Amino acid sequence: MRGPKIVAAGVMAALALAACGGSPSENGSAEGGGKGEFTYWSMWRADEPQAKVIKAAIDRFQAETGTKVKVEWQGRDIKVKIGPAIAAGKAPDLWDNAADVVSTTVVTGQAADLSSVFDSQVPGEGKKVSELIDTKLVDTLPKDPSGSTKWLVPYELISTGWFYNAADKDLAEQPKTWDELIKLCDALKAKDKPCLASDGELMWENFLTLDLLLVRDNGAGTLAKIFEDKSGAGWDAPGVLESAKRMEQLVKGGYLIKGYDASKYPAQQTNWAQGKAAFLSNGSWVAAEVSTLVGPDWKMGALQIPPTKGGNTEVNVSLIGFSVPKKAENPEPAKRFISYFIKKDNLEKIATEAKNITPRADIPAPAELADVQKQLSSNPVRPVLDNLPREYNQKVLFPAFLEMWHGKISAQEFVAKAKEAHVQYWKTAG
Amino acid sequence: MTATLTPAPEKAPRRARASSGASRRRDSGPLERQQSRLFWPFVAPALLVYGLLFLAPIAYAAWTSLYRWDGMGEMEWQGLKNYWILWNDPNFASSIVNTLKILVIGGVITFLCSFLLTLVLREMRAKLFARSVLFFPNLVNAMVFGAVAGFLFSPDGPVNAVLGWVGVETPPKWLGTDNVFTLIMATLIWTATGYYTTIIMAAVDQIPPYLYEAAELEGASAWQRLRHVTIPLAWDVITVCAVLWTVSSVKVFELILLFGGSNAAEPPMQTWTTAVYVYASVFPTGSVPKLGLASAAALVSLVMVGLFTVLLRRLMRRDPIRY
Repeated sequence: MRGPKIVAAGVMAALALAACGGSPSENGSAEGGGKGEFTYWSMWRADEPQAKVIKAAIDRFQAETGTKVKVEWQGRDIKVKIGPAIAAGKAPDLWDNAADVVSTTVVTGQAADLSSVFDSQVPGEGKKVSELIDTKLVDTLPKDPSGSTKWLVPYELISTGWFYNAADKDLAEQPKTWDELIKLCDALKAKDKPCLASDGELMWENFLTLDLLLVRDNGAGTLAKIFEDKSGAGWDAPGVLESAKRMEQLVKGGYLIKGYDASKYPAQQTNWAQGKAAFLSNGSWVAAEVSTLVGPDWKMGALQIPPTKGGNTEVNVSLIGFSVPKKAENPEPAKRFISYFIKKDNLEKIATEAKNITPRADIPAPAELADVQKQLSSNPVRPVLDNLPREYNQKVLFPAFLEMWHGKISAQEFVAKAKEAHVQYWKTAG
Repeated sequence: MTATLTPAPEKAPRRARASSGASRRRDSGPLERQQSRLFWPFVAPALLVYGLLFLAPIAYAAWTSLYRWDGMGEMEWQGLKNYWILWNDPNFASSIVNTLKILVIGGVITFLCSFLLTLVLREMRAKLFARSVLFFPNLVNAMVFGAVAGFLFSPDGPVNAVLGWVGVETPPKWLGTDNVFTLIMATLIWTATGYYTTIIMAAVDQIPPYLYEAAELEGASAWQRLRHVTIPLAWDVITVCAVLWTVSSVKVFELILLFGGSNAAEPPMQTWTTAVYVYASVFPTGSVPKLGLASAAALVSLVMVGLFTVLLRRLMRRDPIRY
């Protein structure tokens, strides 16, 4: 009784108090916000490498421009704090997060349009932000109520893939088609080596393969089309079943590491890093996650799900970047900082120190992610899972998918179950 | 047992209480007058705090549950639509089923274990030590179990290794999505048993030993002593424990989050309880918060548990035995 009551009561009480706080525009700059000052809430904890990189840039920015920056290193909790803060009129002037988290403030009309930042000059480089950051990246974002996708300025890219040890002689040749990949898996199976490691409980990571197969078989945007058709007819397209059958092939073919359906993350990921399986389907952060586990001769490679019938070579991308709430008190200095951070000598530290891919093509990714950067720049990009709301993934895609992934239902049953949950979802959505 | 005992003796004392209350008001003495004068000054502050911190938020939640609200923008009137959504959402239904599973199945097993332990503990040597050992799991944060389970029960983990030694070739898929909820229940029962055993034992210690001696002389077995001496005489405490269990079982939340959810993701839907449902509606990752729906869900579970508690109290009510 107490649990839900207290959670709800706490939230409600906080919001009730917050609602009395008055609108931000009233107590805005009058409070001494001034021109040369802004607040920044970071998704990083102070001891994380990204935080150190951003902190160093802030220090330089403060010294060079005289702007005062008040930073709070919130960590991932920021995603639950930002909504109430916006509601209370106490939103920071600048915050950062993955695009899917920021997008919750976008669809509710609470994020400022950052077109002016994209049009602004990056100090000392003589170029605009929009000339340095490939527009195809920002185009993957969902549109805000005014139809713009320029509500996030990315400083870090995440992609996905089947990661593997490129120094492994068995994996020297990259499969060019799905059939070749299955052949490779067969060859590994003959050597008693599982093709794919997977922590079976992970929904997102395991679904990635099907996500890309749907694109390979049916073209980009297939999931979004399925999602939008409330009748669920999208699930009946023959290509959807075709992709599901490829997943079934992976499961039934005996290519998965033993015990994948009964382990808890990161048990099988660790097994993979120790060479007990060839591939692992994951986000590009896995390179950093296993960096202390892999042997000295490990060379991180990334394989994209190969085409099934030609064309459709889209690569997943998701962005981490800065956002400015619409209700921010001092948006201008915050926006100036964003352009400042995109400057090469600031941003390249995201690659060299924080070991991640930046959105600037002229900043080389760290060696372990070089494959991914190459794949991102030489292929069309798409948003992971077509930016579907996570609630839909949770309620419709993942439960049915996990049953198929654990070998309990067939591809046909998966499609039927997902369709049923889809119809149910739209019945109660809204 | 309770059903036959309860009704008859219940009515008489009640009537007696009512009539004595009425007569007291008529001819109240100085002490009663003093007491009634002090009633409000003493009760009002507590009532105020209670109203402000509990009743007002509940009322606010009830009001919010009639709206669609993301917590940032305008509230949009929905009427009873949120309740309609809950009614039609299979995930809410399964969350309620899971909550009831913990409440009923978990409760029955916990109390059976507690009674069995009481049976043994009362008569064993070094019982204080044994009690401390039993209570220990309760001191450890549930989070620890969630984290350790992933290691203990992993396919090549220690549990399966031990099973392998004794010849079990195909151990169960402990951490498979279907079994996670059972594992969560098992953890809950394990931690709660020590807690309730301790409380019940405290009551059992107050039972005069001569009653047990007498029972023994009359040839009662251990089971009969539990059935006819321990349980009836500790009944009040057991009733309170049952209510405590009802209340706490509906709060179960962090354990599920830890067992099922990894990285930044919510746990799989099969393991959701109403508490997790509320949490996931208020703080979704990558979806717009649904505060109206969350409030409605919280209220539904509040009403559900309220009803359950009242029912439980009625079922377990009987005359106190004085000794």
